[in-house]
Amino acid sequence: MIDAVETVRVGLIVVFVLLGLFFSFVSMVGVLRLPDVYSRAHTASQADTLGAGFGLAAVALTVGWEGAGFKSVLLLFFIFVTNPTAAHGIARAAFEEGIVPWTEGDERR
Amino acid sequence: MTDASDESDAADPDVTAGDPAETGSGPSGEGGRRGTVVVPVERTPTLRATVAHAVESAASGEFSAVHFVEIASWRDGDPESEERTAEAERILERVLAWAEADLADSDADETDVTIAVDLIGSDDYLFGPDDYVSVLVEYAEENDCDAVLLDPEYTPVGNTTLLQPLEFALSNTGLAVETAPVTRPTRRERLRSEATGVRFAAMFGLSLAFYFVLGDPLYWFDWVTGVASAAIVSITLSRISFDADPALPRTPLRLARGAIYVPVLLYEIVMANLVVARVILDPRLPIEPTMNRMRVIVGSGLPLMTLANSITLTPGTLTVRARDSDLYVHSLIPWARDGLFDGSLERWTRFVYYGRSSARLPTPRERDDCAVLQGPDATEDLPIAATDGGEDATAEPTPTDGAAGDAAEVTDG
Repeated sequence: MIDAVETVRVGLIVVFVLLGLFFSFVSMVGVLRLPDVYSRAHTASQADTLGAGFGLAAVALTVGWEGAGFKSVLLLFFIFVTNPTAAHGIARAAFEEGIVPWTEGDERR
Repeated sequence: MTDASDESDAADPDVTAGDPAETGSGPSGEGGRRGTVVVPVERTPTLRATVAHAVESAASGEFSAVHFVEIASWRDGDPESEERTAEAERILERVLAWAEADLADSDADETDVTIAVDLIGSDDYLFGPDDYVSVLVEYAEENDCDAVLLDPEYTPVGNTTLLQPLEFALSNTGLAVETAPVTRPTRRERLRSEATGVRFAAMFGLSLAFYFVLGDPLYWFDWVTGVASAAIVSITLSRISFDADPALPRTPLRLARGAIYVPVLLYEIVMANLVVARVILDPRLPIEPTMNRMRVIVGSGLPLMTLANSITLTPGTLTVRARDSDLYVHSLIPWARDGLFDGSLERWTRFVYYGRSSARLPTPRERDDCAVLQGPDATEDLPIAATDGGEDATAEPTPTDGAAGDAAEVTDG
């Protein structure tokens, strides 16, 4: 019984780490491929939400509910509060600078 | 902050610069300088004295009319807007009664001074002092007012410690600004009384609880450092972090409904992440980014922030600007845009802050409160392309020239 729970836990940790890696990778590809600051901001926040999200979930599972596990949940909460604020800050700065969002047919920049 | 004020100034000067001169010459033509004064009011300890002062200066011949206006920080149609409107109207009624009594007591001819009350600004969310000023200036123009009399305790934005004061924003307009010389509690007392209130206690409790989550509540030294840090945090931040006192039935209810919202938001985030990941990994990169405008009904302040942040957290949509009650949202793919206009996040935000009955309003699409600003489906012009984009493109070849050039393209096509 204990072994089964342990196996599931380790399995979940591996799955979460892989998912976190996947979304971080997607985010990186997006930042490289997308054409302008606004669309890059979309994908950059992916690394924060699900990339870091799954990563921290894996950490919480690894260290258990005591102490550090709880702190990693708190970390996740703060990331979820600060990430959109930062993304909005960047996008708003770009908007106020008068940068027009890329549309179909424009040059990449 | 300075950018925002520049913006409103940039929009205003034509109107403000022209009008005061006009109104100034009008009344002065018929002997003596008798203008019209506008007095923004809200419930303050010095409101009574300010009304008395305004009426007194009018009775002494300084003004021919006094307009008392309450500037609404909410917008009609918001949940709870009816209560707030009723409250504002009660204050205005009382102000009118005071003013009329004062006028009757004075030795001036009662028919000589006009007193008016009005509730303005309830069709948009107002954020900073410059928003309040532009509403005030608009009213002043419509009613030929040339002066503003400020209640010294008037702080409409609530927690404006980080913003430029209203007086400063007003000084950039053509209106003459005066602060009512009324006796009032000193600043220091006011700060202290605010800081020792419910907000202080809430902030203190919250930061101490957070400290003990990280530390050890059974260790005496953590108590000492925890109390010290919580005190510092609550002294410095309690007025900024809370813009209203936590109230007993409301705050726990909001927290509970927020707890229901979190899994919903997480689900939305995961779904949007998967869709956006597929688009990004697709070799053809099938994106159709557009800027969109959506007029939201959630209430200003914290609810609007919650909605804007939820939109940004969901990949594929990104809140770029919150101007009045319009959110400018950039969307990466049409799927995300449609989801945005279907208003599920807006509905959930209303649910969290106002309960289930308020959640059931029509979606932005049904209300016709949304617009696409770019691309083949565009229904409105992009505000930046229309205002400064064109000029920049021709006037100065700066490094941002590429962007400005595109601005011209967008408006052309």
